[in-house]
Amino acid sequence: MRSSSEEGAAQDTGSEHVAEFIDVSKRFGDILAADRLNLGIRRGEFLSFLGPSGCGKTTALRMLAGFEPPSEGTVRIDATDMSAVPSHRRPVNMVFQHYALFPHMTVAQNVGYGLRQRRPRLPKSEIGAQVDKALATVRLSDFGTRRVWELSGGQQQRVALARAIINEPTILLLDEPMAALDAKLRAEMQRELLDLQRSLGITFVLVTHDQEEALSMSDRICIMGRGRIVQVGTPQDLYDRPCNRYVADFVGKANILSGEVVAREAGQARVVLGCGAEVLVPEGNPDGRRHVDVVIRPECLSLSATHQDEDAAIRARVTHRTFLGDHTEYLLQAEGTGLLQVNLPRQAERTSGGHGVGDDVHILWAAGTGLVLAADD
Amino acid sequence: MTRDNSPITRQKFMEELRRYEKGSITRRHFLGATGLGTAMAVMGGAVPSLLPGRAQAQDLGNRVVLATWPNYHDAANFDRFAEETGVFAQVNVFGSNEEMLAKLQAGGSGWDVFVPTNYAISTYVEADLIEPLDLSRLPNYDAAAFEQRFADAGTIDGTTYAVPKNWGTTGIAFNSSKTGGVVDSWKTFFDGARDQFDGRVMVHDYQLTTIGNALVYFGHSFNSVDPAELADAENLLIDVKPHLFAISSDYQPSMRNGDAWLTMCWTGDGKQMNSDMPEIGFALGREGGEIWSDYYAVPKGAPHREAAYALINYLLDPEVNAREALAHGYPVADSRTNALLPEELLNDPILYPAAESLTPLEFGAAVTLTDPNRAELMARFKSA
Amino acid sequence: MAITQARARALLLTPAGLWYAALLLFPLAVVLIFSFGERNPIGGYAPGFTLEQYANLPARFAAFRNTLTLAPLGTVAALLIAYPLAYYLAIKVSVRWKTTLLILVIVPFWTSILIRSYAWIYLLGGNGIPALLEAFGLGELRLINTPFAVLVGIVYGYLPLMVFPIYVALEKLDKSLLEAASDLGAPPWRSFLQITLPMSMPGVMTGSMLVFILLTGEFLIPAILGGGKVFFVGNALVDLFLQSRNWAFGSAVAVALIVIMLIVVALYTRAVRRFGVRRDDVGLM
Repeated sequence: MRSSSEEGAAQDTGSEHVAEFIDVSKRFGDILAADRLNLGIRRGEFLSFLGPSGCGKTTALRMLAGFEPPSEGTVRIDATDMSAVPSHRRPVNMVFQHYALFPHMTVAQNVGYGLRQRRPRLPKSEIGAQVDKALATVRLSDFGTRRVWELSGGQQQRVALARAIINEPTILLLDEPMAALDAKLRAEMQRELLDLQRSLGITFVLVTHDQEEALSMSDRICIMGRGRIVQVGTPQDLYDRPCNRYVADFVGKANILSGEVVAREAGQARVVLGCGAEVLVPEGNPDGRRHVDVVIRPECLSLSATHQDEDAAIRARVTHRTFLGDHTEYLLQAEGTGLLQVNLPRQAERTSGGHGVGDDVHILWAAGTGLVLAADD
Repeated sequence: MTRDNSPITRQKFMEELRRYEKGSITRRHFLGATGLGTAMAVMGGAVPSLLPGRAQAQDLGNRVVLATWPNYHDAANFDRFAEETGVFAQVNVFGSNEEMLAKLQAGGSGWDVFVPTNYAISTYVEADLIEPLDLSRLPNYDAAAFEQRFADAGTIDGTTYAVPKNWGTTGIAFNSSKTGGVVDSWKTFFDGARDQFDGRVMVHDYQLTTIGNALVYFGHSFNSVDPAELADAENLLIDVKPHLFAISSDYQPSMRNGDAWLTMCWTGDGKQMNSDMPEIGFALGREGGEIWSDYYAVPKGAPHREAAYALINYLLDPEVNAREALAHGYPVADSRTNALLPEELLNDPILYPAAESLTPLEFGAAVTLTDPNRAELMARFKSA
Repeated sequence: MAITQARARALLLTPAGLWYAALLLFPLAVVLIFSFGERNPIGGYAPGFTLEQYANLPARFAAFRNTLTLAPLGTVAALLIAYPLAYYLAIKVSVRWKTTLLILVIVPFWTSILIRSYAWIYLLGGNGIPALLEAFGLGELRLINTPFAVLVGIVYGYLPLMVFPIYVALEKLDKSLLEAASDLGAPPWRSFLQITLPMSMPGVMTGSMLVFILLTGEFLIPAILGGGKVFFVGNALVDLFLQSRNWAFGSAVAVALIVIMLIVVALYTRAVRRFGVRRDDVGLM
């Protein structure tokens, strides 16, 4: 899917892009961990690399940090080629997945480590002051003399954060930093990270396999799969206009149905689905294929006991119903389509009265909703 | 010097290693000190015991424990003894008389037969560690066949505690291709060490011989415990020390590979080196030195006393003893045995030196062994 | 419940307790008692109560001096050689070769140190390395029967004991710590000094203590490779117990050695604590 990645990142001006991957590949033996990556990271943005494990997102981050040299291509930071720049000279800092705090140092010594590496040396008093400031930023002011192994997971995480931001890096790299935290703490940390990013104004690059985390935090998301960049865009872009089945499936809940195009008109395709229903669906990149996949989000469908003429309808039976407060999730079995999910907002349920498990209903598909997906690679 | 520079051959190394395994190059110190001797003995004891024992008329048991010196027996004789009696000999080798004494003093040695040297026997008697021998149970021992001076240390106040095994001397082994000729005086030995043989001379790690020969250098008695005479010896030894190649009773490897040219040497070692390398000769110090005699004895509380008598009696059989002598190369005091030995062995100047060269030699005295001042002198010398 | 636990503890600790009592405390008590006794005129121990043996300790000053010079020197030399080797094995070498190389480090242990030391007699003797150096025109050199030969033997003999604890410490070092240090601006040599070295300190400490303590009691290597001219306390003890059989004085020398060893170990432990890592810290990983 080269077409949907940011082609020609190199043409963008240096001031807009704080870092760039230009045709970057990375091989570990026979394994191609990163395959011709091209990406520009914008100054000040919060960018996430999202994908399942082994998709190459961590490799991309590590090449940015300088832990892995690219096999081919160029990584630039601040318009400078990083090929010959070792990690300790790069203006980036990382929060490691398991924090990698130095166990033989106190919290304050950990946080001040980066400042102590500066040459010429910084005065002790200045290091002390900055450490205090950084600890205050992560709300750990009283913890400076503690040993890191005395802290809880969330506290260790904040120490790691303080240690990484004290150097005022051009880019802060975060390698699945929330993976080890429980759900509640994770949500709290996510908010804190966003606040921090806003107050510091530096570029954050996050690696995560958690799509909700990526959707909720990122300005832009770079979806990766099998070493390649599949799609880059804002969370909304990816949700509304997934370029292919992989992205549609990975980002948010999606019903993906296969069908046959019977007619094309003004950017829309008339598709006959497996169940026989005929729907009118927008098509992003018309390519003339007859057999296509169509995606439609659960909240774009509705249910009705009776069939109304203006919409396409799929006959189905309710197999599961889950009440989730603001909306209700229905799983339905339709002939020729497999399981479909429909989310009805509370309001809609009130008016229609809801449906029970075992009920035979019509799934309504408004004309012009959904999307014809481009072919996977 | 060209010979010196040739690196050791693989074959030669293996020979040395095999010698080491046999225990021959570690005459007085290492096997005992390291416990390896015990390990060998345990193996020696364990393997034959797997063989079925043989029913015997007398009840000798099937085991006898012998504490002796390294490379001092013909192993085939033990096999024959086992065949004839059903008793398997377990051989423990030791480094020094002092070490044997220490083991017996500590108790629980488990030995049945041991091999003290002449000067040690009275100490064993004094410490009540040695059994008077019932000579009627040693029919092969014929006192008349033994030269008196090699046998009389075994009898104290009319009681016989030990019967002679072998005798020998402590002389000088020299590598004639390096020394340019025979070295047969302690004067040349100690003066040469500080001069033309600098860094090439070895003395024993054994106070009795090292101090004794230093005393002889001054014309004092080998056995002197006189403080003034000992002070002479100490001055000499400490003066010589920086010029010595080593203080070690394990002199064969260094002599054989040419690192050392001159060493204090016991008869058997001299004979062994001379047989393999004719350029290594053995001579007695003209001024004097040590003559010694080893004995068989039974310690108090020997667990297999019957078998102990049987073994000693067997080893005193002239034919058996002759085979022993052929194997280890130490002279025998038993005329019956000597009658069976080949002429060239009896004429060997190393084994049986001319009587007049033996004249100035002295037997070690009991006090020479136990004198604390000599022990401390040796310690000062070694740590200087 | 409390009773069962107490009983369980007693059951668990009894074998080790008896073992220590029989093989450590009892002999130590004997040595201590002997050290206040006298030498039996024919050798051995005669009961008594005197401080004479301790007053006589200066007679073995040289042995203590040699031991307390060469043992630390040997420990340091072994450390300097073992650390890079352990570092290479733990961090640099590929997994494929690691096992093979580790086995190669252990292999010498399959042979008695006595036999291995004998091999060094030839290597360091006139026909060995000196002959080789002479062939290259490096002049005549005496190696065997010098303190240097003893040092070589010591380092050779005890190297594995030093390599393994350090290897284990480095092996479990979290590599992301080094990446973190580098990420925060530390060049490799500085991250080695600030992270790797302190984190491997427990291994260094274990190895050094192990080697130092064993070296302090060493007698075989100085006897074989020092030609009897390099006199350790261990040699003095062998002579006192097996040659001159002055058990009382030998016991006093042994007690003095133990006391000195305890003091050195205590000082060393404190020093390492100060500069290194608390065991808890490393336990985190």
